[in-house]
Amino acid sequence: MLKKIRFIIALWVAKASRLALRMIGKPATCTPGIIALKLCPDFLAHIGTPQTLICVTGTNGKTIVSNLLGDVLRDCGYSVTNNSYGSNVQGGVASALLTDATLTGRSKKQFGVIEVDERSSIKVYSYITPDYLVCNNIMRDSLKRNAHPDFISYVINNKLTEKTKVILNSDDLICARLAPKSTDRTYFGVDVRKPESGDPENVRDVVYCPECGHRLDVDYIRYYHIGRMSCPECGLRSPDRDFTVTDVDVDAGTLTVAHDGVSEVYRLMNDNIINIYNSCTVITVLHKIGLTYEQISGAFDRLKIVATRYDRTTVGDVSITMQFAKGQNPSACGRAFSYVAGHSGERKSVLIMTDFQESDESESVCWLYDCDMSALADPTIREIVFAGPRCRDQKLRAIMAGVPEEKIKITDTPADGVDLIDVKNHSEIFILYQLYTIPAAARAKRRLIERVEAEK
Amino acid sequence: MKIEHLYGEVANFYGDPQNAVYLSQCDPDSEIIHTRLDSVPYFASERPDIILIGSMSEAMQRLAIKSLMPYKERIIELIDDGVVFLATGNAYEIFTERIEYVTEKITVDGLGLFPLTVKTDLFARYNGMVIGEADGMTITGFRSQFSFVYGDNSDFAFIKVERGIGINKQSKLEGVRRKNFIGTHLIGPILPLNPEFCEYVLRLAGSSACAAHKEAAMAAYDRRVAEFRDPKVKFD
Ligand SMILES: [Zn+2]
Repeated sequence: MLKKIRFIIALWVAKASRLALRMIGKPATCTPGIIALKLCPDFLAHIGTPQTLICVTGTNGKTIVSNLLGDVLRDCGYSVTNNSYGSNVQGGVASALLTDATLTGRSKKQFGVIEVDERSSIKVYSYITPDYLVCNNIMRDSLKRNAHPDFISYVINNKLTEKTKVILNSDDLICARLAPKSTDRTYFGVDVRKPESGDPENVRDVVYCPECGHRLDVDYIRYYHIGRMSCPECGLRSPDRDFTVTDVDVDAGTLTVAHDGVSEVYRLMNDNIINIYNSCTVITVLHKIGLTYEQISGAFDRLKIVATRYDRTTVGDVSITMQFAKGQNPSACGRAFSYVAGHSGERKSVLIMTDFQESDESESVCWLYDCDMSALADPTIREIVFAGPRCRDQKLRAIMAGVPEEKIKITDTPADGVDLIDVKNHSEIFILYQLYTIPAAARAKRRLIERVEAEK
Repeated sequence: MKIEHLYGEVANFYGDPQNAVYLSQCDPDSEIIHTRLDSVPYFASERPDIILIGSMSEAMQRLAIKSLMPYKERIIELIDDGVVFLATGNAYEIFTERIEYVTEKITVDGLGLFPLTVKTDLFARYNGMVIGEADGMTITGFRSQFSFVYGDNSDFAFIKVERGIGINKQSKLEGVRRKNFIGTHLIGPILPLNPEFCEYVLRLAGSSACAAHKEAAMAAYDRRVAEFRDPKVKFD
């Protein structure tokens, strides 16, 4: 009884704080959730959850996947709780759930789509049992916080029970082995654009069989450890897919997914392989929770996908592309560099402002050396500007990766980087930024447009 | 110069493999020999000039111990013969007496080259920086680890720590040194991060090569030394 009273007090205080924050024009953040957890540490054990609760986790793509799930469900007329505008740690999860709860703490919604930061898994799943756990991939992320994929799997698995159904990427052997207690398992994957080479010499996090330690045979590797593999010793292999992308037609703008003996055609939102995985994840989840092909494809047709992480502006004959590259995340930055190298254009300049520093903290630069920078040595990239306090380390790392030293310019001040770009001699300019440098990147873009216009 | 890079297919966290890349860029005549976890090391029958091994997951650390254990006597012989070893991150724990994995509740014997023990706790990650002195050089580096090392390394420490911690939070002596065997919890690219130390390692291995891209490397190093000595900068 006392526990219940404490919960109700925490709920009301948190709801009031949310109201107060809104009245002074502050957006709903994780603050109400943090307050609730302060007053009632097991708040999540008491708060009601929607009829069907879907938790989305994994290294890359969880925000896009959970937002897309929420958008489709709402488009189809369902009521949805999600934390898309809050945070994905414990406080953000609590905030999202309490916002949509009644004054007695019951949930009013049909679906909950909650993005959960991998490292918050123990704190969240200790109290909440998701109906579905969705995971797209487990990759290298911040070495300080996430250590390594083995550790992240351990943390995610720790408190999950057999009651949770899982929806996992079968092309990621680390991800596919998550939640071993769950017997209701659905696998998705992509069967197009398979690389010719069996096993490129890249760094991958699954080389030996996690069951018996024998070297795995590789059918193919797409990037990092995303691909298909099997163990010749004990028979472990990438699980068969239940939902498979069987065709991507860029010209027609369609994506075909096969499952349960049918082939369904959806609108292709973006033909980047990462986004093909994201779309496939979303389609699989929506089918599993009972939506029909007509509902899903209808919503896909109507939805405009907000491209927050990619935008392109053309000024005269110069195009400026803003590309998100999650800082301290070697896999995400490596993919962003490859994207720039593979982009059309012969005269590219890249401004890299992924470097962020708290004034009294010195960030570890080791991750730069775990990040594959070889794509930056592509001859179409004529100029690279590193802007930020770690610019000297970035420069050395780039030289080691094969970038000619004369192509590299550096400045300690992020704001000055844009002035080092030679706008006259480059037709494609890329600005790579991260979460903490969004405002600086936006300013850099405005300044760049001014400079290009002045040159005309 | 022959550089044997041990188990790079798994012991490759935090940029540690870039030490081998950097050495090969310092001395273009050098050759990197990649030895996989399930194969016979080159050093079993030959004498490489430098042997490198880097950070890995706890599961792979246990496999690495299994793979190296049969070569324990050979490793001692090579150390006595002056072969350079550089074991970074949790790779150097392999050469201590034993590792207790607190979270998994298992204890595994190491190769026992140093009278030290290790405790690994997946719920106690430690991140920090180190600046200190080793054989007259100033060494800078980063650490990110689940484990601490216990025992008395005062007779064979690698770094006298100026700021940061040593083998554990109570220690100011980091890592181990036995002839030309250097083991440290400092992770990642310790050689490009410390070009003078890299040249020192090259000398130990009998090479007169200079640190590669030295101007760029020294610029980054000098800036880091200044920053690490700035009292405003937090260390962990
Ligand atoms: Zn096996």
